[in-house]
Amino acid sequence: MNEISVQFEAVSKRYPHFVLENIHLKLPTGSIMGFIGANGAGKSTTIRILMGLVHQDSGQVHVLGHPMPAGQAAAKRDIGFVSEDMRLYGPATLAWHMKFVQSMVPNWDAPYAEKLLQRFDLKPQQKIKGLSHGQRVKAALLLALARRPRLLVLDEPTTGLDPIARHEVLGELMAVLADEERTILFSSHNTQDVEQISDQITFIDRGQIVDTDGKEVFLDRWRRLRLQLQPGAALPNLPGIIQVGGSERLPVLTINCFDPAMLSACQRWGATVQAVDSMTLEEIFVANVHSRREQVTA
Amino acid sequence: MHSEPILSQFVISQSDARPMYLQIMEQIRQRVAVGEWSPGDEIPSIRQLAVATRVSVITIKRAYLELEREGVIVTQHGKGSFIAPNPDLNPRIYDEELDERLEQAARLGALLGLAEDELAERLREATTRLTENQTTESTETIRETV
Amino acid sequence: MNLSIVYRLVLKDWYLQRLSILIALAGGLLGMGVVATGSSASFILGAIALVTVIIAFGANNAIATMVNERKEQTLPFVMSLPISYREYTASKILGHLILFLIPWLLITLGSLAMLWISPDHKHGMIPYVAIMATEMLVGSCLIATVALITESQPWTVACIMVGNVAFNIVGYIVAHIPSIARTLFGATLQWNAASVGILLAEFAAAALMLTLTFVFQARKKDFL
Repeated sequence: MNEISVQFEAVSKRYPHFVLENIHLKLPTGSIMGFIGANGAGKSTTIRILMGLVHQDSGQVHVLGHPMPAGQAAAKRDIGFVSEDMRLYGPATLAWHMKFVQSMVPNWDAPYAEKLLQRFDLKPQQKIKGLSHGQRVKAALLLALARRPRLLVLDEPTTGLDPIARHEVLGELMAVLADEERTILFSSHNTQDVEQISDQITFIDRGQIVDTDGKEVFLDRWRRLRLQLQPGAALPNLPGIIQVGGSERLPVLTINCFDPAMLSACQRWGATVQAVDSMTLEEIFVANVHSRREQVTA
Repeated sequence: MHSEPILSQFVISQSDARPMYLQIMEQIRQRVAVGEWSPGDEIPSIRQLAVATRVSVITIKRAYLELEREGVIVTQHGKGSFIAPNPDLNPRIYDEELDERLEQAARLGALLGLAEDELAERLREATTRLTENQTTESTETIRETV
Repeated sequence: MNLSIVYRLVLKDWYLQRLSILIALAGGLLGMGVVATGSSASFILGAIALVTVIIAFGANNAIATMVNERKEQTLPFVMSLPISYREYTASKILGHLILFLIPWLLITLGSLAMLWISPDHKHGMIPYVAIMATEMLVGSCLIATVALITESQPWTVACIMVGNVAFNIVGYIVAHIPSIARTLFGATLQWNAASVGILLAEFAAAALMLTLTFVFQARKKDFL
């Protein structure tokens, strides 16, 4: 079995109003990667290149060992894909879609599909055009999950879902990972979900990968330091200061490589450490992107 | 082997400010402390727990590694994870957390302009309050059962 | 190219278009019924009805199966299945052409047969009818090509309109080519350089368009 499910090397794609540049990605088998980015950052383009539906201008893409886009037909036998802009055929029923997908893929799991129908509370005889948005999303997910794919690629899987449905979907996604040969890549705006279930996290902004690392590493490395300075004192010279907020005497430092030794360093500098706040993934992402954008304009 | 219902009783609080891996560690330690899991018992595998709690595998892995380092559990490659024969439930992590909190208290004390012995007195008051509350609780429990 | 995959994709499209297929079938039967009543007026009326049904159905099918996959946003769903661009294109062309060819063959061969056995031996018409029927085939291929490559409703509709007008213009021009006009209303079947040439050119054009479709689709860098 491949140890790396998805690999991007120096992938670039040029559009008239948008450029995806120098994308490097490595997704180990058995893990789940959360892909976070603002709208228009390039998440969907990257995912389409992964699926072979968009041909990159330069760079190599390998998915489950197949080069993309050339090997897409073979690769897609083991990939389940759901994107936010995907629709099913309105006049047809969910049951028809299930039969159709079953006829097209090698590993359809009918008993599992039945279980998902119950868990997602879907009626197979209902026509797709009669379903609510949330039900349509769950239907598309059912079709992808019941294929028992080795790789699940999801572009905004929980967007537009009510909290109950989101909870169910997250549960099913995690259940996929009970098998350590299966891998998930999903992009989401919901940073809380990403923070909870991802093993690896990649930030993308304006067509470039901003940062990629293990989730625990991010949560460990980033801190907000609230200091109190002596009048007229300068900021302590600490590495990895991404942002400085607060006021002159009460600065708030956002740090991306925190080490407990820094606290004593601050005290030696004459600054009082009032608090050391950990940061949520959302705060980390926003801070990361803002500082990068400021660097570019500076 | 523990069945599904017990697994799903691991509940992660999203509003808890502490990192998820610490929450997991604490809940495992508590289960051992109250006797629900005994030394030698097999505990859920990393993936099983990840699925049941909907928390990433990497977080559970970290929790298990730390627990192993502390001597609470042992992992046998290929066989699974088990409660250690003599689980050490006094976590070093709590030690570190205590130090951190004490330093925070010292800082706050300095902010308030408290002297060292005034701060120590406040700590003593807090400890006394804690003991009183615990006694009241157990008295009430006794009263209820009687 | 995996033929069973292509086959299943074709069946999928036929299932989704089953209502319009049935309607076209009903219209075709009606038209043939009118023709079969025998009088020359009904022959013309019936012929017009049949041609209309074929062209209308072809246009509708092209838009429903090729343009709408993008409009209705079902293209990502289909392409999430284990298929390549080539298999997708092949299924669309085959699905469309077969649906077109079945009635087209029936009507064309039927008309040619009627001309052959007609009591007043209208054999002279046969090359002309063959040319015009093949012209419809070329039109159908053109619509499929434009629909698949542009995936745009405005362009496809424009192509349908142009095709319609062209059909009538070609009909007029061919009928007035001296070597063909001479034998048009005669009783003898006469193939000459002009009629054979035009017929071959039509088939070549159809083949060229289909090949171009595959080439263009293969070179598309943004399939989605």
